[in-house]
Amino acid sequence: MSIEKRPGSARLFAISLLVLGLLIGYFGLSANGYLVPALVAFGMAGLLWFGKAGRLFKAVTLVNLVSGTLLVLVLAFGDFLGDHKLDVSGVSLLVSLLTGGPAVALVAPGLLLGLRSGKALDRWFNPAPSQA
Amino acid sequence: MNKALTAIVTMAAMLQPELALAGSYSGKARLPDGRPAYGAMVTVFDADGQRRQTVYTAADGSYAIRTPYAGKVKVRVRLSGFKDGSTEQAATAGGSTRLDLSLGNFTNLGEMNDALSASAFNARLPWPNVARDRPAFVSQCNYCHQVGNSWTRIPRDHEQWIAEVEKMENMLAMQSQAQGRVIAETLWKGFDGKPFHASQNYGASPELAKAKVREWLVGDGYTFIHDADVAQDGMLYGTDEGHDILWMLNRDTGKIDQFKLPAINLPRGGLFSGMRLPIGQFTGKHGPHSMAQTSDGRIWITNALSSTLMSFDPRTKRFKTYKVGHDALYPHTIRVDKNDVVWFTIVASNQIGRFDPKTEQMTVMRLPSNGVLRWLTDQLFPTLMRIGSWFPDQAVHLNLSTHRFFGEQILAFPYGIDVNPVDGSIWYAKLYASKIGRIDPKTMAVQEWDTPMIGPRRPRFDAQGIFWIPAFDAGGLMRFDPKNAKFETYRIPVVGKNEYETPYALNVDRKTGQVWMAANNSDRIIRFDPKTRKFFSYPSPTRVTVLRDFSFTKDGQVCSSSSNMPAAAIEDGRPNFICLEPEGGAADRAALGS
Repeated sequence: MSIEKRPGSARLFAISLLVLGLLIGYFGLSANGYLVPALVAFGMAGLLWFGKAGRLFKAVTLVNLVSGTLLVLVLAFGDFLGDHKLDVSGVSLLVSLLTGGPAVALVAPGLLLGLRSGKALDRWFNPAPSQA
Repeated sequence: MNKALTAIVTMAAMLQPELALAGSYSGKARLPDGRPAYGAMVTVFDADGQRRQTVYTAADGSYAIRTPYAGKVKVRVRLSGFKDGSTEQAATAGGSTRLDLSLGNFTNLGEMNDALSASAFNARLPWPNVARDRPAFVSQCNYCHQVGNSWTRIPRDHEQWIAEVEKMENMLAMQSQAQGRVIAETLWKGFDGKPFHASQNYGASPELAKAKVREWLVGDGYTFIHDADVAQDGMLYGTDEGHDILWMLNRDTGKIDQFKLPAINLPRGGLFSGMRLPIGQFTGKHGPHSMAQTSDGRIWITNALSSTLMSFDPRTKRFKTYKVGHDALYPHTIRVDKNDVVWFTIVASNQIGRFDPKTEQMTVMRLPSNGVLRWLTDQLFPTLMRIGSWFPDQAVHLNLSTHRFFGEQILAFPYGIDVNPVDGSIWYAKLYASKIGRIDPKTMAVQEWDTPMIGPRRPRFDAQGIFWIPAFDAGGLMRFDPKNAKFETYRIPVVGKNEYETPYALNVDRKTGQVWMAANNSDRIIRFDPKTRKFFSYPSPTRVTVLRDFSFTKDGQVCSSSSNMPAAAIEDGRPNFICLEPEGGAADRAALGS
């Protein structure tokens, strides 16, 4: 059995998620809704640190990035949606928060780049099978 | 024949005021030691207690008042620092009675305290750091009501004050959590119910002795007439944000009519249904807020809760509703420009609305965001309210709002608005961002300036194009000259030691140039004379007077509506329409030969 060494990017992103989670969690002490993305960020940091549940990690990161981007775009340019603008932005906001909110969104582009097939984070979550 | 007719008409004209002005009194008001009472209010209440008129005594204690009231009327004399004196009189048509009045001494400190305005009580609050901690209290608590009147200074324990502050947050008070804790603790320590020594001076003046105030009670304890406006027909209209009613007062007859706004398919609270709304306040669905009239006679109303614009035709009594649309949240102050185009601020989404009644075209423009965090908060706030509406009465939006850690200043809040009569440009004040701005009505280009005092609220232009701005949070008045972009600032005089003032709104009488302002912390109307740079104080005959806008009658009266929230906390337990006639008292003196 070969033991994969934790890549530097995994360390960096895991610590970033932890710090951002703490920051969002601090805001959550005043507005409790932000405790949810803080907890999600902690969980994501844990998964990344230990290299577990790679598919879930990637899916959550992707959904977070898409929902966060959609939220900003709708807020800035969504008037054409008329009365539905706030419904779309509302759902986007809730989905974003449930997937880590700004704590994950700030590192999501880097994570997704690192999770591409063959990249260090992808190898960390999907280590090569051990040679018999 | 002509001479005879002229004589009859003249006699009728002479008799008419006597018949119309039944309960007329003149005399002197005295202090308990017999000296003349200067600046005392002599008020005559009608037999039903629904209307009243007040004049102020001169330096020699003299007064004279003509009223149209007949039957059993009450006459009261009131002066700060003394116990009211009152008597009942049988008023008869054509009568003019000599009536001397006496003020009394309080029997104990508690009785004296009950006669103080809220400002005397909140001046004693033990803020850990006044400069740091009081602004959020002034901004967010005095926003809606006095704090320190008999309704709000009831001693509560710490937990109860925390619950009170949380209740206010459910009604859109936007202090941060940390600020809320300091406010709760300070109110708990400060409102202990113990009597104290205090004195207030409302600044008697010869000008005060010339004035007269008329009041008409209206609605119930939860009527919330945010704004009152004098229409072209002389009627005084009032927008009742609590009950979705447009009130109309005929000042000549005292008759009050009400017009219910048309139904709308929204829950209680309108777009704010996610908030935890106390029964009786903000229970409307439209939330009519502010008014302005176009030259065709239609009155335009901003509906804050439904985010709609509404017209009311006084001839047909019909309403018509127009959606503001998109993410507009809380349409607020409204004015009409010289081309009959309607402009209004939209506070909670940092926007300005423009509506052309001829084409019925609605335009909503976003104002400068004043920073990334403000942009994010201004943009997110309507979204949070929409999320909240999915969970009615739960106030879930509070769990996501950034004001909870940054405080109210994280929002811009474009509030008051007016049209520059010189060049037709549109000007607004951002209450929380402490800025004023100018919109070019043709290009829609915007320019903003920081204000030297915080909390610019509901400003107005004078006839020369000078922008007068009340600084609510700073207790001041600002003068801004658009020609050279220079500010001047004035501190509003207070009535007691350590007190502060909360000028919510002002209006400039364009005939006289006088600036009339609300002084809601101490139950006063203030007049500022731009020529002499002097302030004049007009104490309100009714305790707990909170005024949010002013409008002028053709004969120079300045009118408003008393709209403390809730109205049940006002001395009468109900709101009133109020009009101050600067020379009305002098006219009564002349008519009665006093």
